[in-house]
Amino acid sequence: MKTIPPPCPEPDTGPKYWRSLDQLADKPEFRQWLEREFPEGASEFTDAVSRRYFVKIMSASFLLAGLGATGCRRPVENIMPFAKQPENYIHGVPQKYATAMPIRGTAIPLVVESNDGRPTKIEGNALHPDSNGGTDHFAQASVLNLYDPDRSMRFAKQGGVTAKREEALDFLSSVAQQAAGNGGAGLCFLSERTNSPSRDRVQKLIAAKYPQAKWFVYEPVDFDIAREAATVAFGKPVTPYFKFDEAEIILSLDSDFLALEENAYLNIRRFAKTRRLAKAGDKMSRLYVVEGLFTLTGANADNRLRVATSQVQGIAAHIALAIVKDSSLQAPLQAMADAVKLTAAQQSWVAECAKDLAHSGAKAVVVAGYRQPLEAHLIAHAINSALGAVGTTVALQDYDRPANGTLAELAEQLNAGSVDTLVILGGNPVYNAPADLNWTVAQGKAKTVIRLGYYEDETTASKTAPTLWHLPQAHYLESWGDARTADGTVAPVQPLIQPLFGGLTELEVLARLGGLEKTNPHDIVRETFRGLAGDDENKWRKFLHDGFLAGSAAKAGGASLSFSAVAARLGAAKTANAPTSNSLEVVFYRSHAMDDGRYANNGWLQETPDPITKLVWDNAVLMSPATADALGVGKFKAEARNNEASAGLFENQIVEVSIGARKVEGPVWIQPGMADNVVGISLGYGRKVDWRIARGQHKEGTGFDGYRLRTAAAPYIAAGAKVTGTSATRALASTQEHGAMEGRPIIREANLAQFEKNPQFAVALNTHEPPAPLNQPIYKNPFDEFKKRGVHQWGMVIDLNTCVGCSACVLACQSENNIPIAGKDQVRRGREMSWIRLDRYFSGNVNDPQAAFQVMLCQHCEAAPCENVCPVNATAHNEEGLNVMAYNRCVGTRYCSNNCPYKVRRFNYLDFNRRPLDSLKGPVYSMPILNSVDGEWELARWWKNPDRGLKPDEEWDLLALVKNPDVTVRMRGVMEKCSFCLQRIEQAKIAQKVKAGPSGDVQVPEGVIKTACQQACPAGAITFGNLNDANSEVSKAKQNPRNYTVLDYLATKPRTTYLARVRNPNPNIKDSYETMPGTTDEYVKKNHVKGDPFATHHGSDHGAPAAAGKGGHH
Amino acid sequence: MSDSAIPAAIKVQAPPIELEREALVENQRSIGWISDRVAAIVEGKAPLWWWAAFIPSVTALGMLGFLLFYQITVGVGVWGNQHPVMWGWDIINFVWWIGIGHAGTLISAILFLLRQKWRTAVNRAAEAMTIFAVMCAGIYPGLHVGRVWFDWYLFPIPNSNIIWPQFRSPLMWDVFAVSTYFTVSVLFWYMGLIPDLAVMRDRAKTKIRKFFYGLFSLGWTGANRHWSNYEKAYLILAGLSTPLVLSVHSIVSLDFAVSQLPGWHTTIFPPYFVAGAVFSGFGMVLTLLIPLRSMCKLEDIITIRHIDLMCKVTLATGTIVGYAYIMELFIAWYGGNPYERYAFLNRIAGPYAWGYWIMMCCNVIVPQLFWIKWCRTNLIFVFIMSILVNVGMWFERFVIIVISLHREFLPGNWGYFSPTWVDVCTYLGTFGLFFTMFLLFLKFVPMIAISEVKGVTPQADPHHPLGGAKGGHH
Repeated sequence: MKTIPPPCPEPDTGPKYWRSLDQLADKPEFRQWLEREFPEGASEFTDAVSRRYFVKIMSASFLLAGLGATGCRRPVENIMPFAKQPENYIHGVPQKYATAMPIRGTAIPLVVESNDGRPTKIEGNALHPDSNGGTDHFAQASVLNLYDPDRSMRFAKQGGVTAKREEALDFLSSVAQQAAGNGGAGLCFLSERTNSPSRDRVQKLIAAKYPQAKWFVYEPVDFDIAREAATVAFGKPVTPYFKFDEAEIILSLDSDFLALEENAYLNIRRFAKTRRLAKAGDKMSRLYVVEGLFTLTGANADNRLRVATSQVQGIAAHIALAIVKDSSLQAPLQAMADAVKLTAAQQSWVAECAKDLAHSGAKAVVVAGYRQPLEAHLIAHAINSALGAVGTTVALQDYDRPANGTLAELAEQLNAGSVDTLVILGGNPVYNAPADLNWTVAQGKAKTVIRLGYYEDETTASKTAPTLWHLPQAHYLESWGDARTADGTVAPVQPLIQPLFGGLTELEVLARLGGLEKTNPHDIVRETFRGLAGDDENKWRKFLHDGFLAGSAAKAGGASLSFSAVAARLGAAKTANAPTSNSLEVVFYRSHAMDDGRYANNGWLQETPDPITKLVWDNAVLMSPATADALGVGKFKAEARNNEASAGLFENQIVEVSIGARKVEGPVWIQPGMADNVVGISLGYGRKVDWRIARGQHKEGTGFDGYRLRTAAAPYIAAGAKVTGTSATRALASTQEHGAMEGRPIIREANLAQFEKNPQFAVALNTHEPPAPLNQPIYKNPFDEFKKRGVHQWGMVIDLNTCVGCSACVLACQSENNIPIAGKDQVRRGREMSWIRLDRYFSGNVNDPQAAFQVMLCQHCEAAPCENVCPVNATAHNEEGLNVMAYNRCVGTRYCSNNCPYKVRRFNYLDFNRRPLDSLKGPVYSMPILNSVDGEWELARWWKNPDRGLKPDEEWDLLALVKNPDVTVRMRGVMEKCSFCLQRIEQAKIAQKVKAGPSGDVQVPEGVIKTACQQACPAGAITFGNLNDANSEVSKAKQNPRNYTVLDYLATKPRTTYLARVRNPNPNIKDSYETMPGTTDEYVKKNHVKGDPFATHHGSDHGAPAAAGKGGHH
Repeated sequence: MSDSAIPAAIKVQAPPIELEREALVENQRSIGWISDRVAAIVEGKAPLWWWAAFIPSVTALGMLGFLLFYQITVGVGVWGNQHPVMWGWDIINFVWWIGIGHAGTLISAILFLLRQKWRTAVNRAAEAMTIFAVMCAGIYPGLHVGRVWFDWYLFPIPNSNIIWPQFRSPLMWDVFAVSTYFTVSVLFWYMGLIPDLAVMRDRAKTKIRKFFYGLFSLGWTGANRHWSNYEKAYLILAGLSTPLVLSVHSIVSLDFAVSQLPGWHTTIFPPYFVAGAVFSGFGMVLTLLIPLRSMCKLEDIITIRHIDLMCKVTLATGTIVGYAYIMELFIAWYGGNPYERYAFLNRIAGPYAWGYWIMMCCNVIVPQLFWIKWCRTNLIFVFIMSILVNVGMWFERFVIIVISLHREFLPGNWGYFSPTWVDVCTYLGTFGLFFTMFLLFLKFVPMIAISEVKGVTPQADPHHPLGGAKGGHH
């Protein structure tokens, strides 16, 4: 290893000294030598990962972490022995850095926890002006991608030959030279959508240098339609930004804005603000949803209209007709409205909805989803304008970005043979390009393809469209970059770790291809920042520290609707006939787990259940019960999956979906609540790769590939599909087999009017308690004493009214608590390990049900039934009211789980942490003792190091890095469960004790401790804190009239309670939402409750359970 | 000697023939015949049927060994246990085998205290069955846990961490109840064996046999003082065992009753479990003895009357169990708790309703046929019935454990349990253990308590016409 000179900062002013002739000459070799943080060979894994190499690099990362002021990292080109403790670095104390996760046209501001130089936990940046610290589930899971053992680890030449980094960089230089010669003729760039200011700047620089070069953007799931529509509607480049928190009435036109639209985490936060009810009389928004699929947003709707996705624009036109009075729009709207025949019920729904919107005026908002054509978006804008909502609930941000071509245009160019060099920056077009573009062939027509990719995936590996060069892409946690968040604020993307495998960022590749002076992404970002905020080092440091540039939010430019443009586009609108069972409509949608396929190798996300179907590891052909009946496929009984549940496992019929000559095969999944004759297919599955998680389309693969059915013309809604059953079946894994609540008061719901009448309605649904004399405990509970005198008594309240079911908490918990994945076969056996369940219940009509969600985690009962049945004292209560697990003591009798009424304990049946997924498949499991890994007998490996997993070394070493060092990694045979993030509580307590010193003020102040789920929740639905502090949020939340205990009658006295859900349907719309929520209705019917279910006493007969408990459970 | 030698004054008038109890040993077999016949099973060459039974049993035992090794090295996940049904065949089989183990002690202890002389013909085999059944049962709680190597945490062993087991947990009570029961059962069985082992020693022809029977008969000479001590000790052990018969299964039932799961949380469990255990135990005794009596030619010792009496016990306990089932249903309805109500509705009509109805048929409905005398005395019929009883009792545990667990409070976590091949084969493997042990028992130990049977023959009764020194062939 070469000796590194000591740091020698160059003064900005004054005389400069040069150290060598190379420096004086500023030769590229020297520059590179300087820029490299580590000598050749040490800064990337050129060979397979080995722990030795990793530790080397890691220790350098510690150092870097320490050198900058906390929260701001600068690349420092030196390395020091670790004998001397670096400043600001305390071994074992995690550090946090602000960064951002760029995703398509937006970014999520983050604070990432780094433990000894390795990023482990992602949290939202609560300092950011447009964030409360919540994130979405993708961001939570994205840290696992960093340590993905299947990610691209090398530079590769054509045919998959490993090449040296220098070779690749030289090649980029040669491309740059050539392009400089011919002005970039024949050079095409295909990238993903991004909104990085630096990226835009570099693109402009290159475009200026190579005027002939062409730029294209492709996103398989593209949210750009919103911007495009706003630009058409308002006659200038603007991006709409919806302020749902300002809205009283929200109409979603097939927009899944609470889950799978862009910036859903923000929308959830804003929406939740309008759903928080502290007392009767509080205002609450009303959400109307018109949609064809059953989305999470639909599940949260107060009034939902189920129509085919292609008919949504017609419904929108009907509503617009009642609101938009501009004459130029009347005719085209009328034409679009006429294309949809409404039933009487639909007519009244539409009329009432329009009336409500009009009544609310500027306080209403209409949003259209990405699946909808431009026209639907235009109608939404027209309605918003007519309501006066533009400027209140809809902000229009000015938008100034380089224009790019589309993939279809690029394909044309390729087919015309006019592309010499195609640079693919990210993305995976061979897998996800529209089927009709025949992309593989088109890509093969380029003479040279340079591909920057996070994986060596379909696009790299394609035999027919060979890639000349594959460059490994850096993870965003390894990259320098910048991005604009939803409100336009600029946020830094700063690395927390050196690229593990020497990956390049998009910025660096572009800079090298452009032959730019500065190719180091840090310098590029710094330069961009200089342009944005001036050359002030302090500002830059603050930017890195805070994670955003204050005051850089996009200007909300005033704009008014251009009626003529809208009328012109609406006039040319294509209308589609309503689908029939002979001509079905296929709707392609972004997967809740895989996104567009980019997370296919992320085990956490593969095992995150879809919030509606609860399927994991698979996608399916979704259709409504009536459609399935009409087609004669699948089988379904009205009791919401009761029938399948009795078969135990879901063996679903495989059907063939065909549109013209294109066809795909997938298992049918009957999804109540979908529009009839609509088929839903989620994208992102069926990868043709053979990685550890994502598997090819063989029997054990993950899902089927919906992209094979998609065309450029109909990317989201395809008409004229046929579905035919086959004799094959496929086993699907679902984490919830039973969908009905069976009339039990588990999730308690009321309509707003009922809440107003009886704010304590939730308590009125308590199951009757045993007669009073028997209710006296014989023995005093010692914890009652602790409760009185303890400093801390932890408790949690979950607001079911603001929780939308987005799953961010589930992933946050997984990441924080080292929860392993179990694999599809094990999920089918009910053995998934997630500590948080998101129970989803359907109620009401099977064709048009309501859904309700409940986050279910350890309730930390004061009288915990699990504790007194454990024969070895492995689960016990602590003085602060936590039910704690001593994993070391647990022998695994599983009695605690049997006695837990909430069933929130998970048992590690097969050493899920240490075994590769392949060995977690039954019926015959491989015996670890007979295994050999890396050519060594397992027993010998175990003898040398019992902590070693059964995974190959390189995989094990990487996966070990994602673990939270503060939480035990549980072995097999041990029961585990939610601990209320005990590690966070203890850290805060220790810190407070240190701080308190002799003052004795050891009470942790409110807000210091946030559980991982609470922190991640964008809705702020989870409140955690000290019940002994009367002013804590959680104490206040417990005073909320909606507060209730699940299974109150068992008197387990849980520390986790729930705030009942209130729905706010339009009382004038006569539908199933009208009188009372479905679950309550079911409760009334099943328990034969007569009269008002929420009356404190009601006339229930024969000792029905609903006999009111007075005053709740306390 | 002949009757004429006895003076008329001391001649006891024999009771009239119609009042005399049926002899326990038929055909007026002599005492010597009893010794010869019982010892012949042990002393003779193993018959073909013995080998035909032994080889598959040992094979199954080997399979059990392998499967347990497999389960320990791979994890409990090789079984069908899952969330929410965390206990499956492991605990079903544990309770089932423990239940079977009840007949032996009941016969040997309670019937002894009640002076039911007919017990002598069946008690030895029944006690052996008890011990082997408890061994089979013991495998499950020990090995069903996630980390077998920490099983010792369950015992109150003083340790530096001062962590004790949790004495409030019924599983803890189980540890004590089952181990006590096993210990006392073995002691009781061995005690009863001593005079017979001495017989075997005295009859032994080879040195090895002489040595081992000699060793285990503990120097028994049949002296009066030996008999006197023996009888006292036997009575004391019988007294000790009697509460154990009730306690073991009561405590096993508390594993369920103490929890608050609908379908488990029931105060009727302890008596109902004990009745069920006796029911299944007698079922198993019948299953074993009906073929044995003909194969070992013991029809004169294990008579139809014995079968008849055991059928009556089966009928009585089966009816108690049936009462408990109906009472459970009634309370579920009458109690008005919707969760409880659903749990029982789900048993009757849920996805596992077939399991419930198998249980109902085998345990309650079919045994009612035992009211008919023909049914109690037709051997083939009784044999089939005895198997049905055990099938029914297996399903009772299945119903209690699996059906209660698979659908309880929150429908969101309902599930469906299916066993795996490992569950099934491990269960079969325990039969291998059971039958291997039982066949070895037949081969090496007198399966009938020779001395006790002799004690209930008319010859042993000095007041009987055949009794005393009068009728003996010696």
